Amino acid sequence: MNTVDTKQLVDIVGKENVRENAADRYVYGSDSSVHEASAWIVVRPTDYEQIQTIVHYANKEKIPLVARGSGSGMSGQAVPSQGGIVLDMKRLNKILDINLADGYCRVQAGVVDDDLNKALKPYGVMYPVAPASSRVATIGGEIANNASGVRSVKYGAVRDSVLGMTVIMATGELVHLGCRTRVEAAGYQLDRLMVGSEGTLGIIVEATLRFVPIPKFRCLGKADFNQLEDAGRAIADIMASGAQPSLLELMDNVAITAVNKAMDMGLSDVDAILMFEADGMVKEAVEFEIQKIKEICEKNGGSNIQMSYDAAERTKLFAGRKKLFPALSKYMEHYSCTSLADDMAVPYSKMAEAARKIHEIADKNGVIMTAYGHCGSGCMHTKILMEATKGKQWYGAQKAVAEIYDYVISVGGTTSAEHGIGISKAPAFKKEKKDSLPYMLAIKRALDPNNILNPGKLMDAPDDWVTATKLRYNIN
Amino acid sequence: MEFTRLKKWQDTLNLCIRCGYCFEQCHIFKITGWETDTPRGKLIMLYGLMQGDLEPSEYLAEKVFECYMCKRCDSSCSAKVPVTDIFTEAKADFLEAGLDVTGTTSFTDEDLCSRCCICISACRHEARSYDPKTDKIVIDKVKCQSCGCCVAACPSGAAKSREGFGLSQRELLEQVSTYLEGGLS
Repeated sequence: MNTVDTKQLVDIVGKENVRENAADRYVYGSDSSVHEASAWIVVRPTDYEQIQTIVHYANKEKIPLVARGSGSGMSGQAVPSQGGIVLDMKRLNKILDINLADGYCRVQAGVVDDDLNKALKPYGVMYPVAPASSRVATIGGEIANNASGVRSVKYGAVRDSVLGMTVIMATGELVHLGCRTRVEAAGYQLDRLMVGSEGTLGIIVEATLRFVPIPKFRCLGKADFNQLEDAGRAIADIMASGAQPSLLELMDNVAITAVNKAMDMGLSDVDAILMFEADGMVKEAVEFEIQKIKEICEKNGGSNIQMSYDAAERTKLFAGRKKLFPALSKYMEHYSCTSLADDMAVPYSKMAEAARKIHEIADKNGVIMTAYGHCGSGCMHTKILMEATKGKQWYGAQKAVAEIYDYVISVGGTTSAEHGIGISKAPAFKKEKKDSLPYMLAIKRALDPNNILNPGKLMDAPDDWVTATKLRYNIN
Repeated sequence: MEFTRLKKWQDTLNLCIRCGYCFEQCHIFKITGWETDTPRGKLIMLYGLMQGDLEPSEYLAEKVFECYMCKRCDSSCSAKVPVTDIFTEAKADFLEAGLDVTGTTSFTDEDLCSRCCICISACRHEARSYDPKTDKIVIDKVKCQSCGCCVAACPSGAAKSREGFGLSQRELLEQVSTYLEGGLS
């Protein structure tokens, strides 16, 4: 039941920063997942003090509070499944400091990834996380989901770039976590605890991030494979060889077909394509890496290999992969691309087997799935393509999701590599983390005793994701 | 309210994966910062209308009529959702349902209008016509793309469109002046 006192919130942030029209509440109840719900009210704070006051009020009145960046999450993390106040963090968008000498920058949570990199570029450095959604994803959202991207194989995920942060706890207290130095061994790494906490432990308002030099040379390559398994073996061999790719991406035939249809890319109609990149400050070193990767591709049946150092050619070569997610909607008429079972990670040696298994399970359950992703870091993206308005398809999707995760867990993989758990991955996550779940719950209860911070997510999400919220599609 | 035109787009609306990549393309969002003003936000609202989750309202109609139809979202959408075509159909549905709002479409100040009809020839969308019976300039709000050509062409300042999104000539000049002053100081 909506118990929000609008006047109090208007007093805190001003009338112009509060929306409670049904249309606004509906829009802010949606993200890039299959879930949707309605917020009770949407509030846009402009400073930390306002957030402290809002959190204090919500905690006192036991009102759910969902922090939201751009709502580009794929698992329902930003969906206010229990109603409450949605905190739109996008106005906290200041880059506070770029400290080249000490190797860090300080940014507010609502800064968009690409905007940060635009600001860093003149200094010759970059924040390397680079999720595909970097044009819209906010730093706060990336931290809360422990996001990563195409270059995670070399530069890691958000957790590898965060040095510290400022967080507003469930009590309304503002605390500084972590540090501004490259290393720290001063007690519990509470900043790490916040990474991937999906807004359930505190509201991240500011982050101290490290950056890396922008490499002078980048060489991007592409190899066609007639067998998906060959591409999978190539991935495992590359990673075992000691080579250090800065990008290693797989696209299966479903993905290839989709980008060819959506973007007229003219990619070869093969079983799989591997895209690989090496970068560095010395061309000879980059060339050494790229040749090594190329040779491994060839040894595993890779053909039609193209490679380029030229920025324009690299952009063209990578365009299909960059916009693959939305392009998947064009794979087949009447089929929608749903963010389900979308980002598991498996050991390198299981990459080929996992890709094949995904297709087998999809066939068995009457849906179409694709296998692609940042395979150099073990991340296997899939999406379920289906006639989303047909109820029967959701039954198949639910079975497929469960079977895939059972397989992933059985081979030592994980439920989520970079998109987080939210609602839709919670059942599998609970299975995977069975033994550590009570400890996660204990942390949540200790830090948020009134359960106001993004309730109903992660450990607290329902066991049936299909009925956990209203689904965004008009299902017959 | 039937929304017969809008309902034809249901399959197409299902293609939208709600990635939000259209945010960066939208001028209105850049000014207001509200997700409700983004192409994605508007598509979500229209889907809610079709599903019966949202009631038709002037507020909701206004959001759709506010689109400047620059079509940057159309061209940037990899899922190829024809965003502004959907908005155009929705506008027709809203008007049919009696939700006659203006948004950013142009209008005419009758007191200033000399009926010179320059605005009609300036409109490349054939949204303006002259009605001799009423002696008024008639605007087809579905056809109007809020391009502002009529506003710029009107010698009497009678053709107008809503300001406040930082995009009118006056607002742009103000922004440029502020930037230059800041830069020079």
